[in-house]
Parts: sequence; structure tokens; C-alpha cells
Amino acid sequence: MTELLELYERMVKIRLVEDKLQELCLQGEAGDLHFSKGQEAISVGVCAALRQTDSIVTHHRTIAHEIAKGAALHPLIAEILGKASGINRGLAGEMHINNPTIRHMFSFQLVGTCVPVAVGLAYALRYYKKTDDVVAVFFGDAATSNGQVHEALNIAKIKKVPLLLVCENNGLAGNIRKEFYLPTKTVAERKAAYGIRGYTIDGNDVKKVMIATIGAVGAIREWSLPYLLDCETTRLCWHKQGQRDIRSPEEIAKLAERDPLLVCERRMDVLPETLEKTWKSIQKEIDEVFAKVKEDPYPTWN
Amino acid sequence: MKIHFDSPQIEKEFPDRVITLPISEDANTNFAVGMALAGVKPIVDVITADFLYRTMDSICNTIPKEHFTSAPKTIIIRSEFMTASPTTGQRPEALFTHIPDLNVVVPSNPLDAHGLMDTVLETKGATLFFEDRMIEDKTTKPEDMDTYLDIIPLGKGKIRRRGHELTIVSYALTLRMLDLLFEKENLEYELIDLRSIYPVDYDLIADSVNKTCALLIVEPDVTYSGVGAEIACEISERCFFVEGTQPFPVENLRHPVKRLGAPRTTIPASRSLHDYLLPSEKRILEVAKELSR
Repeated sequence: MTELLELYERMVKIRLVEDKLQELCLQGEAGDLHFSKGQEAISVGVCAALRQTDSIVTHHRTIAHEIAKGAALHPLIAEILGKASGINRGLAGEMHINNPTIRHMFSFQLVGTCVPVAVGLAYALRYYKKTDDVVAVFFGDAATSNGQVHEALNIAKIKKVPLLLVCENNGLAGNIRKEFYLPTKTVAERKAAYGIRGYTIDGNDVKKVMIATIGAVGAIREWSLPYLLDCETTRLCWHKQGQRDIRSPEEIAKLAERDPLLVCERRMDVLPETLEKTWKSIQKEIDEVFAKVKEDPYPTWN
Repeated sequence: MKIHFDSPQIEKEFPDRVITLPISEDANTNFAVGMALAGVKPIVDVITADFLYRTMDSICNTIPKEHFTSAPKTIIIRSEFMTASPTTGQRPEALFTHIPDLNVVVPSNPLDAHGLMDTVLETKGATLFFEDRMIEDKTTKPEDMDTYLDIIPLGKGKIRRRGHELTIVSYALTLRMLDLLFEKENLEYELIDLRSIYPVDYDLIADSVNKTCALLIVEPDVTYSGVGAEIACEISERCFFVEGTQPFPVENLRHPVKRLGAPRTTIPASRSLHDYLLPSEKRILEVAKELSR
């Protein structure tokens, strides 16, 4: 099991990279990006429980998933800033990154598309390539209003695909509140129609997410079945940079009490000075990467 | 033999290579995208061309954009044209020629369907593969398939009939109809089978038009914003005579390029009305005669 401090460091890395990118957005140096501030524990916790050869398929908030799965920072940031040295040569941007070297196979902007793609990938890996690899697919609770997700859950169960369904449940669809798209009390209830197993967990507690994933992945690998983790979480940033939030600053401040970094700090028995040192060293690393990416050329069309 | 493939027979012959999925067109095509990510070559059987509208999102959004941002992978979406009723008789093939990173294949006979399927299975990239249920080829036998060795490169048309009076371009059902018609009437028009409507073999058409100096495009589809419009524009640009720019021949396009095809209408259910949808033999012969003058 990965040490809690290491998980904490990964979350801090995501937070600091996104903060830096947000700065660039506000300065007009980057386009409008989608951040995972407050949701980092899910990607970090899930990816910590996966093997290197396990694949992930994700939605449009890709920065957290990329870092959690172990992407090198330079090509990731270069891709987001549209440089030729990016993972996808600057063609994909933040929302369409696919990085087979770390087995981040697919990400897509359109809500819900990632789930059927992940089902097909998991099916092919198990029944054609005969591996025991697991696919983890990340989607939001809002995506469960989309037909693609329901069609995919249906196929996943019928075809017995080795798939971990990770619902990043932040109770928002862009800027729309839960009551406008979720008739049930929880997202997890929706799985019942397809006979898929799973449960709701606190998605802001990285340790709980990791332990739940270890259990789920073990079962998936053994029996090849879809399994759902409904991770309740809090989005502490805007839906997309440059779009005003429907929530009041007070409401967000209240949610920030559940910030996964704070939750993790409370769990760890570490001196505040040590934490400060960690933040500083990560910040230094990130600053260096951003400075290098700035020098990289933009792609040309030919 | 018929041009469209026989799913139950394939399932019997290759049980471990046929995956039966629910009627979830869009998720099924996205499922195939996931399979291609794992290095498997999927053929998605979207049974009727009308059902393609149900899976436009995965065909136009997921596949080409994924291929563009990472690398093209072999994915084939096969579908059949029918003529029966408002939603089982549409021909949406021209729509897909507008989407970057998609190939669109429309064979007019069983041997071409065989050869083109071999080609696209070896092509990195996504292909819409259309089969025409109405085409019945009485001369081709199933055993001909085994001896068929022609390699058909993607984007290469074929001259079905030689002639010097007029170039006629067509594909699929109407090509078949024209071929039989000119055979019967013993007419010498140059008949070009496009075989794929993206990419289009413009060189072949332009060479022929430079010889015949007239072009007629006959489509089995709605002409409005169709394949013929695109070809007419390209050939006008290439072959219209502008003094000093083209050394040979002296006389290029004598007439404006002419299109014949289906009206912009929904397919009626009554069979008796279907004959009105495609241009009649009489009309084709009239127009061809006019253009070859």
C-alpha cells in the first residue's frame, strides 16, 4: 500500500499545477481550462490502487488523472498550453489527452462518451488480448443523465467486462444543481437497474478511496465484472475557468472544510514544518517545468 | 449474388469473432473505439443506414477526434441502404464526406465490396462501408470471391465502360442501373464507378472529362449538398477552359456539369412511389443525349 505522505504529495502536485494554470488563464496565456480542485483524492486514491498496466479512461478534467497515473509533468503542461512538445503534439489540449505510455488511453470532452469506450477497451483487453488488466473509468455524476452511460452500464454487465466505474460525484452538472438532473437520492442507486455492485464512499478521503479501490479491483480482476464506486466529493473551483459559479463564496468556503488535502493532513502524523517543506519543494519543481515549457515552440501546420 | 453481407452465416463461421450487443447504436460504436484502443480491429454492423443517425456522435465526434489527437486506428462501420419507408430508405453517405478523418466507401458490386473490405481492413483510419441491398448481381457467384485477387486502393475509381462522347460518374445502385441501361441500349458513354466517395478519384474523372468534354453525375442520393455538387465544383475548377492555362485539349467542358439524383424528400412508404425517387431511364438518356451533342 502506498504511504499516505506519497498520496498527499501527489494531491499537492495536482493542486499546485492547477493553481499555476489558473494564474495563466487569468492572464490570458492559457485557454479556459477545467480543474479538479477539491476532487484530487479520487484520482490519486484510485490510481494508487491500480497496477501500471491497468488502464484509465477519463472525462474532460484530465489534469488530476494524468498526474495521479504518473505522467511526466513537462509534456503534460506543454500539451495543456498547446506546445509541440505536448503529449499529443498540442493537438488534443486539456480535454482530449490520451497518453498510452502511462495507459491513460482516452479522455473526451463530451459527457458520457468515456464510459462506453472504457467498456469496449476492458472487453478487448480481457477477451481478445487475454490479459487480467483492469480498466478504471472516471465520470461525473452529471454524466449519469446521459444515455451513453446507461447503454454502457447495460453492456458492461451483460458482457462481464473488468471495469471499475468511478463516479466523481460533486453534485453539479457544470453550473446546474443536483435536483435538476438526479431523481434518486444517490448515484449509486442507478446501478441497481443493471445488477452492478458497488457503494458510496467519501471521495475526499484519499485513504478510504484507495482502500475501497484495492478491494474493488481485486474482485474485478478475479471475476471480471463491472463495479461502481460512487465517490462523493466537492468541487472547490469553477466548472470551467472563466465561467461564474452558481454557488456563493460562503457555500464554497463551507465545502472547503472537506478539502481532501485537509482531510489527509488530519490523518497524517506530520509536523507542519515538514508539510511546508513538501509544498515548497513541489512548487519549485513545478515552477521549473513551467519555465522550461515556456521556451518550447508551438506546433506548425503542414 | 447480393452485395450485403450475411451476418448469421458469419456468426456461424466465426463464433468467437462476432460480439452480439444490445440495440444501443451509439454505445456500440464507442465500444468499438475502446476495442481499437486495445489493438483490435472492429467492424461495427449498423444494420441499416438510417440507424447511423443514432450513432452520429460516436462516428463524427469520438472516432475522428480520437484518431486526430493520437493515431488513426482501423475501425469499419458497415451499413446497408434499403428502400422501404421514411426511416428505412435514407442514404446519408454524403453527410460523412464532410467530416474530416473519415473514409466513405460505396461498392457497386460484390467483387468490389470484397476487395474494398480487404483494403480498409489494412487501412489505418475509420471507414464508413456502405452496402446496397437493392443491388443484385446475377453473374457473380459466391465461388468467384475465393479467386478474387484484385487489390483496390482506397480512393481509386474504375472505368466500367469506355466511351468518348460523355463522361458519366456514379456509384452504388445507380451505377449498376446505368451499366445495365447502356449495355441494353448499346451506348458509348464513359462510365466511371467512384467506389469511394471520400477520397474521390478526381484524376480519373478529370482525365476522362478532358477527353469527352462533358460530365454528368448520377447519384442514388439527394443531390442537394451531395457528392455530385462537390465533384461538379472540383471538375469545373480543373477542366473549365481558361485560355493560356491549359495547353491540352483545346476544348474542355462544353456544357455546365449536370447532376441527376433523388429529390430532397422523405422516402414514402408506398412502393409505387419509389420509382419516382431516382431519375428514370428515359430522363437519364435524354440528358445524356443532350450533353453529348
